[in-house]
Order: sequence, then C-alpha cells, then structure tokens
Amino acid sequence: MTISTTEKIGQAVIVFLLLLLCVSVIYPFLYMLAISLNDGADAAKGGVYLWPRQFTWINYEIVLGNEVIRHSYLITIARTIVGTFLGLLVTLAAAFGLSYRMLPLRKAILTYVLITMLFNGGLVPYYIQLYNLGLVNTFWVYIIPNMFSVWNMFVMLKFIQGIPDAVVESAELDGANPVRILFQIIVPLSKPMLAALGLFTAVFHWNDWFAGAFYVTDQSLIPVQTFLQQMLNASDLSVIFGSNTNQEALARGAQAKNVTLMSIKMAVVMVSALPILCVYPFLQKYFVKGVLIGSVKG
Amino acid sequence: MGRLIKYRWQYLLILPAVVLLFLFNYIPMAGIQIAFRDFRIGQSIWTSPWVGFENFSFLHDDQFWIIVRNTLYISVLKFIFGFPAPILLALMINELRHSGFKRFVQSVSYLPHFFSWIVVAYILQSFLTLDGGLVNDLIVKMGGEPIFFLGSEEWFRPMVVSSALWKEVGWNSILYLAAITTIDPQLYEAARVEGAGKLAQIRHITIPGIMPTITIVLILNIPSLIAAGMDQIYPLMNPANMQVADVLDTYVLRSGLQQGYFGMATAVGLISSVIALLLVVMTNQLSRKLTGEGLW
Repeated sequence: MTISTTEKIGQAVIVFLLLLLCVSVIYPFLYMLAISLNDGADAAKGGVYLWPRQFTWINYEIVLGNEVIRHSYLITIARTIVGTFLGLLVTLAAAFGLSYRMLPLRKAILTYVLITMLFNGGLVPYYIQLYNLGLVNTFWVYIIPNMFSVWNMFVMLKFIQGIPDAVVESAELDGANPVRILFQIIVPLSKPMLAALGLFTAVFHWNDWFAGAFYVTDQSLIPVQTFLQQMLNASDLSVIFGSNTNQEALARGAQAKNVTLMSIKMAVVMVSALPILCVYPFLQKYFVKGVLIGSVKG
Repeated sequence: MGRLIKYRWQYLLILPAVVLLFLFNYIPMAGIQIAFRDFRIGQSIWTSPWVGFENFSFLHDDQFWIIVRNTLYISVLKFIFGFPAPILLALMINELRHSGFKRFVQSVSYLPHFFSWIVVAYILQSFLTLDGGLVNDLIVKMGGEPIFFLGSEEWFRPMVVSSALWKEVGWNSILYLAAITTIDPQLYEAARVEGAGKLAQIRHITIPGIMPTITIVLILNIPSLIAAGMDQIYPLMNPANMQVADVLDTYVLRSGLQQGYFGMATAVGLISSVIALLLVVMTNQLSRKLTGEGLW
C-alpha cells in the first residue's frame, strides 16, 4: 500500500499541531520555574523565557522558610490523607450495602440519593448548615461534608455488581456478616477501582481552595491552595514577610531587596505544583482507568 | 419487619451516607425558605419572619441582568469551543502512527486537568503581567503597546475560554479515544480496499462510530449551560474586569457569604437551581428521544 503525498502532509500537520499542544502544556511550568529561580528585579525587566539569567535560590529560601506556608502544607497533606480514606470508606460501605438487590427499601434509598444529584439548596443554605453544625472554622469542614460522593457511589455500585454473586454467597455460607465480607472480599477485589477513585478524591482535596477561603477564617487552618488564592491578588510582600522564620535569608539584604512579589509567587506556585508534576507520570494510567470505569454504560 | 432485621448489617453500612446526605443536601434544600424570610445568622431558618418576595427585588436591578448576561455569555462560549475541541483532538491523536509519541501526547494533554484553577490563574498572571511577563515583553519587542490583559474587560472572556480549553481539552478527549478503539478495524480495511482516503474514513467510519459517545457527552453538558465556572472565574475577577466577569455564582458568593444578604443570595441561588433543574429535565427528555434511554 502506498501512502499518498496529501496523507503525508496531513500527518505532518497533525504532528505539528499536537507538538504545539504539548509545548503549550509543558512550557508554562518551565517558564514559571525559570522566573522562580531568577533574581526578582532582573526578571521584571523581561527576557527570562526558559533559563534563569541571574540564578538564585533566595525565592525558595524565603518561601520554604515561611511558617504559614509550611503549616498550610501540613493542612493540605492532612486533609488529603484523612479525606481520601474516609471518603472511600463511607462511599464504599454505602455502595456495598446497596448492591444487595433484595434489600427492602433499596429503590427508595437509591431515589433519595439520586435526588441530590438533580437539585440542591445552593451555597447560602449550605453555608448556614455548616455554621449551625459548628463545622465553620474547624478542620472537619474539609472532611465531613465530602465523605460521601454520590457519583463515586454509583461507579462503585456498578463495579461491585460485576463481582460474581457466588463469591459473596460462599462467604455468607461460612457465616461471615456483610461487614466482614466487605473488608475481606470486596475490598481486595476492588483494588483497581478504589485506586482510581481514591486518586480522584485525593486530587480534589489537594486542589480545593474554596472551603479554605469561605468556610474558614482562622489562618492556621487554610490549605496551600487557599494560601495561593489569597496571595494571587496581594499587592505587596507582607503576606510572605509578615511571618517569616528564615531570618538568615532575610538578613542577606542585598539579595532580598531584589525579591519581587512575582518571583515569590512563582516559587510558591512551583512548590504547590511540584508534587503533582512528580507523581503524575506514575499514576496517570490509574486516572484514565478511573474515567473509563465511570463512563462505560452498562 | 423480619426482613429489615435480616438486612441490619447492610442498613448499618448505608446509614452514614444517608445521614450525610440528610445533613448536607436535604437540610440545605429546606433552607431555601430563607429566600422568603428575613434571616440573620444565628437565627433558626424555621422561625425568622416571612417577607414574601421582598428578597427578589434584585429582579428589578439592571446589575442583576448584566450578571445573567455575563453568565450565559461565558458558559455558551465555553460550550461552543469546549465541546468540539476534544473530538477534534481525539481524531488527531488517533491518526498518529508512532505509538510512543501517541502515548506522550495523551499523557501531556491530560496533565493540566490535575492542577487547580488557582494554578491556572498564576500561569496567566506570569505570562500576562506588565512587569516582565512574556506576552507583553514580546508585544513591546515587536513595537506594540503593552496590554493590561488581567484588568481588561475585552480580554476577560478570551482569557477564560482559552484557559478552560487548555485545562480540559485533553482530559475530555479520553472518552472519545476509548470509543474510537472499539470501532471494528475491518471497517477501515474494507474502506481502504474501496479506495477511501483518510478524510473519507474519518467521515464515514470514525465519526459515526463515536456518535453515541458524542450524544451522551452533549446531553451531560447541557445542564452546565447555567454554570459559568466559579472556581475558574473567582480567582481571575478584579474590580477592573468585574463588569464582564461577575456571574451568578460569584454574585451569590459576594452578596451572601461576604456581605451577609442571606435572603437575597439564597433567592438568586434558588433561581439558578431551578433553571439547572429544568435543563436537566429537558435534557432527559432529549436523551429519551435521541438514544431511547433516559439518564434516570
């Protein structure tokens, strides 16, 4: 079979366009990295595109020496771990319970769950409820309202229904109660699905800035993303310098004088983005699997 | 009763989810009555005085209609660009012959999905800032005047639409790519024997093959026509672009959570919830007609 010239041109155009897309994704991170590793005042003159012109670690020293940032990092890590674990646990338990087709009231419960996908009270009644429950301004406002995900529940339900009934029945004959069956049989069989949904839940917790910005006023409870959001429109460096513990870095006056808001911002955003950039290549296939588990109509 | 006891463990497993939905979904639904009451924080939503439609007076406010227009403008633009783009991308990726490069393009294009909108806002800021930002740097070098993109009304919509496209196009192409792999390769073989070129194959085999997926995605996207994407817009909004950037969700956020007009903000939220519900119901009808199957 011969390939015609037009097809070769077509192929070349496609490769070119897709390369362009890849560059548009990767380049912003290289650019921000270069700015964050460059002397601030110098970068503001422009012209730093790919490589730092006046290399310095000062931006990172200041950022990593900041008590508020370090603390917000701990909050993000804590809520990601606790939130993902409890989120999977509560949602999986419900999905498993509802996977018993003979369960009395099953239809009614499923309808009760589905209605929440169609209609909601809106932001203000939700906030008032958080307030009335005493969750506002606590760490648990990140966790408890997000413990059950309707969407994930339906994905899990479909997955569990794919497990042969015989597996569960034989365990029942051995006298195991459903809670034991859940942990000893369903969980091991659902590992790939749990990995995929767990990753999505973790990404949600890692990236959520909204709860920290509106349901929490105590600065010691904000996660990294909310810190970034507050800093996005900051007009000076007081956010950063106000609570700095790395006096050594600040003392090097000559260098610190050249630190600009933009160079610090780029260092902060790189610090928040690096973990995702680092784990992404290894976990990517689980994410893709996750989308497909959820989407296959069946 | 005996059956309920027989299934006690199952109910125990479901109970936390039922309680959570009650606390965080159903009670807020009952809280909608705040839209018709004079509510202050700390009071009960059940006992504050009724005020009828007083909280709906924003309907006579021109500013509200500007916000409605902004919301529809942004969500419709996002739909027009955001809906076909992943299909095109999937078709292009599918044409790649080198499987290593294909995997690379896929991995890279999915990546932005995993960053928050805050990170996206930082990227925009770093490129578009007036002090040393790449774009203005290049504009000046080519002899132009620097543009204050971040505080400009005319650049706000292009900025929002293109960054949304950048963030989600790859991720949204996954479903189409999966659908393409289920097409029978013999169909292409037969078409080649018949002398059909690449474009003819795409038009007559690939696109019909992924049509069911296209329909489902289209249907699922219709309800989002009332949501402009607060997560994305809020970080980019500032006093300079407010007149085009303010959408229903940011309005609710500002008037309710920040300024304490709970009644009015709930009323605005109620209107957008009702429109969203209507869109979902209409979508379901449409889906029944098109695919013979409803969403529920």
